[in-house]
This record gives sequence, C-alpha cells and structure tokens, in this order.
Amino acid sequence: MSAIAVDGLTKRYGNTVALEDLSFTVREGEVFGFLGPNGAGKSTTINVLLDFARPTDGEIRVFGKDVRAESREIRRRTGVLPEGVETYDRLTARQHLEFAIDSKDADDDPEHLLSRVGLEEAIDRKAGGYSKGMSQRLLLAMALVGEPDLLVLDEPSTGLDPNGAREMRDLVREENERGATVFFSSHIMEQVEAVCDRVGILRDGEMVAVDTVSGLQDSVTTGATLRVSVDRIDEGAVERVRSMPEVTSVDVEEGQTPAIVVATEGSKTAVIHEIEDAGCEVLDFSTDDTSLEEVFRAYTTDRREEVSA
Amino acid sequence: MSDVNATSVRAIATKDFRDAVRSWTFWGLSLLFFLLVGLAAFAIGYFGNADTSTADFLGTVSQVTRLVVPLIALLLGWKSIAGERESGSIKVLLSLPHSRIDVVLGKYLGRATVLSLSLLIGFVIGAVVVAVMLSPPAIADYAGFIAMTILYGIAYLGIAIALSSITKSTTIAGAAMFGVFVLFYVVWNLLNFALQILMNQGYFSGVEVTQTMNGNEMQYERLPDWGLFVQTIDPGVAYANALSVIDAVEAPGFGTAFSAELFPSGVPFYLQNWFSFLILLVWIVVPTAIAIARFDRVDL
Repeated sequence: MSAIAVDGLTKRYGNTVALEDLSFTVREGEVFGFLGPNGAGKSTTINVLLDFARPTDGEIRVFGKDVRAESREIRRRTGVLPEGVETYDRLTARQHLEFAIDSKDADDDPEHLLSRVGLEEAIDRKAGGYSKGMSQRLLLAMALVGEPDLLVLDEPSTGLDPNGAREMRDLVREENERGATVFFSSHIMEQVEAVCDRVGILRDGEMVAVDTVSGLQDSVTTGATLRVSVDRIDEGAVERVRSMPEVTSVDVEEGQTPAIVVATEGSKTAVIHEIEDAGCEVLDFSTDDTSLEEVFRAYTTDRREEVSA
Repeated sequence: MSDVNATSVRAIATKDFRDAVRSWTFWGLSLLFFLLVGLAAFAIGYFGNADTSTADFLGTVSQVTRLVVPLIALLLGWKSIAGERESGSIKVLLSLPHSRIDVVLGKYLGRATVLSLSLLIGFVIGAVVVAVMLSPPAIADYAGFIAMTILYGIAYLGIAIALSSITKSTTIAGAAMFGVFVLFYVVWNLLNFALQILMNQGYFSGVEVTQTMNGNEMQYERLPDWGLFVQTIDPGVAYANALSVIDAVEAPGFGTAFSAELFPSGVPFYLQNWFSFLILLVWIVVPTAIAIARFDRVDL
C-alpha cells in the first residue's frame, strides 16, 4: 500500500487553478521530496492532504484512507510541521508539547522531544520570546509526538540556520530509519537532495517529474562536460571521440597539461575508453555534473536549453 | 461531516484555557469588572441599613453585570478562532487529530471556564464587601444569581466565538464584536420605540388594555404580544427576566413583570420569565451550531 496516493487532484480558488489533475504516489517507508517553486501548489496539496482545504476534484488517500472521510484517523498517525504558522505566544514549549501529547493520547516526554530538536533549555519559556528558528524547532518537536507513521514537513528549513537545517535532515533520517514515511516539501533543492529517496517536481500545479535524485540528474544531463587530461594530444583519438554518436562537441586544450574537453549526452566512461583505446594515456579527468539545482531549474523554467547547455 | 471526540475537546479546552487565562487584555477588563462589583457592593453597604436585603444587593450588582459581562465575553471570544486562522496556528491545532467541531467546542469550553473564573472572583469580592459592611447575602440566592450571570456571559461568549469563526481577519472579527455591542446596546433598545411608532402610525394594531394606576383607570394600546417578545430576545433582557426566576430577585426592573391586567386572557408562555431562560439557552446553542456547520465546510 502506498503511504500517500494523490489521484486526479484539482483545486480551484475562484478562477485561479492551484492544482490541475495532479497524481502521484509516495511509497511506504520512503523519504519523498516534494519540490517546486513558491506558488507551484505544494501547500495546496498539503492543505488537501490534511483536510484544511477541500478538493475541487480528485482525491488523496493516506494509508488507503480517504483524507475527507477519515481525516481524524489519518492525522492520528501523522506528524505535521505546517508552514508559515505561529506558535502560541503565551504558552511555553512544555505546554505546547503537552497539548500535542494529550491530543494524540501519546506518552512522550516533552524534555526528550525538545532535546531531539535542541530546544531543551527553553522548555519553560513562553514561545512569544522565541526566534523564528526556535519556533520552527518547537513545531518540529510537536510533529514527532506519538511516533507518527507519516511525517509531513512543509518547508521545514524555514527560519533555520545551516546548522539547524542539517540537524533537521538528521532527524528526518532518524525518523525514516524508525520506519516513518517522510513527505518533505521545499523550494530549495539542496535540502531535498541530501535526504530524499525520490523527488517529485511540481510546477504550476502539475507534476513535471517524479524520480530518484540520480534518475532526475540523468534525465536532464544533456550537456555534461568531460575534461580529460592526456599525456599528448593525438589527432586520431580526437577524431574517434568526435565520431561517437552522443558526443556533441570536442575541444582541444594544448599546453603544459594537454586536455580533451568533450560535451556528451551519453556515457562519460565510454569517452574515456575511446581515448585510451586510441593510444593516449589518461592522466586525469573531471566532469561537470548537472547539479540537482540545475535539474530543478530545468524543470521549473521555460528556458530549459539555457540551463542544460 | 466531522464528529466530536471528548479527549480532543478536553485537550483543546485545556490549551485554550492556559492561553486565554494569560491574556492581559482579558484581566484588564476583569479588573474593571471587579472594581465595579466592589463599588456596587460598597454603595449598598454604605447607603444600606439592616433592612437592606440580598435582593437590593443583587438588584444593584445585576445592573453592573448586565452591562459589563457582555464586554468581557465579547473581548474574550473575539480572537478565539479568527486569531488562530490569522496567525496560522489553527493548522497546528488541526494537524493534530481534532475535528473542527472539537475546535469550536474546545474553544468554547476553555474560554467559558476562563470567563466563569473571572466572574466568580468578582462576585466573591462583592460578597465580601457586603458581608463586612452589612451582612452576608443569602447563599442560595447569590449562587443562583452567579449561575445565571455565568450563563449570560456564556451566551455572549457563544455569539463572540461564532462570529470569530467566520473570518480569518481579527479586524473583521473585531468589527463584528462591535456590531453585536451596538446591536444589543443601541439598536434593540430603539426597536421598542420604533415598534411603538409604527403601531401608532397604524402599520399594525396593538392590544387595547385598561390598567389601574394609583386608583385611576388608564386605557391605552400596548404592543402586540410578538412586539413584546421581540424585546425579550435581547440577551440582556432575557438575563434580567430570567433572574426573576430566582426568589430573591423580585425588585422592580426585573422580569417581564407583565401585570395580569395587560393580559386579560393570561400571559402567553413565551412572555413568561422561565421562557427568557430558554432564550438564554438558545443564544448559547444556536450561534455555535451555525458556526460549526459553516466552519466545518470552509477552507482554512
């Protein structure tokens, strides 16, 4: 059974289409990165998932249950870190957690939860005096209450410094190892790259790609550049590389450390073998791999050639 | 669509009580209430004598409560739901396994507890002042009066929470609170005059009655029964009327106190004082029920 199954989900606000026939699944036990620029419809999807907003058409099922009819049952098994929300100014972290623990009929220890998010020293301070990052940590601790089977984290790095963002990723891994499925939305690719098994890219309310991180990289790696340092430039070798079908361009750099610079849409190792077979000695090589950031931009901007060139 | 869960309602009520009880605005207004009740009690004590009864005391105090309790309740309910929607913390609430009905009922229960606490403190202050200066009020009557006043406050609180649930904006919610205030403090009072004028103009006919005052027989046209009923809908009037159910509170100005002369064929049931008590209950139940039905359907 899939943890989350989105099927033909459409959401309109008046004439504005937020989501258009969106379908995808999140498998049980995986960390799924839900990626897209701001305004792509990520929050709308999560709002429907949690029954904060009602779909115009289509449905979402979580652990096989309908998010409209069986919302309470779903939320019993789900921990949520909502985006852009405030904590209760007049309540302490302990009171926030007691509320979540009572609500889920769980028996977690507020101190332990706060130590996991690095907020134990502020346990009896009112949240009104917290920084953005501290509030975010508190909300994350609330999401962990009751060992949820599904964690829904909406832009979890908001307000966190790089160190906090790394700790957050560690927590995601810990929770995933415990057995939780993690659904993680972000508009920042590198957050997702490090922890996600699979990534879905949302654009203008439609899913434009769902794949593993490496699968996504491959799909847009149309112009990877390979720089091969050789002992000498051999014209025969250059010709043999140039005649390879996937190779789009070959340049030669003369000088102290001669190199052959190859742009290929195909296998990089094949290029290296070709050069070696022609009798050159390969001293070193470097590749200019497509970063996931570029993949993201490739999928979310119209001028795709510019990115992949 | 959604159902009610006792654990959820209790968890939300506890959280909300802890939150609201720490609000300075609320305690500021409560302090004003304590002061006014204390002053009323002091005035009774100062001007009163051995004959001054619990009824006199409650008569004076109820003038204060009728005006001030709605203010406290409206202020307390104002941001209850709109505030959570504005700040987004409603998503924290509803990420947890609560239904929207749980949210409205939990909020209502939590804040009703805060309100009751504030009113109880005020009434204990009043009782102490009177007890020191004259004699303690009759316990049973005072308890009945406190219970009825709390009910009155809860009725206004229900109106406030219902209105707070219809908007994401605390500004709009605030305007709605002000609207309720104007409606029942100004408009409803004018309604009586308006109906009287309309009746005199002949838009509808009243009831010809004969009443004996100071030995003189007076003949005049009173508002028809429904016109009198309209007045009793105002929670403040309903409260004052319902208070007369309590034995000690029979001072003038309480109860509909319609004399039999005005109703040759008997006072209709909906103009009797016990019915005013029902009206208070209707104010507690109906706005909340409407709010729940609507809040259950909206996108947050």
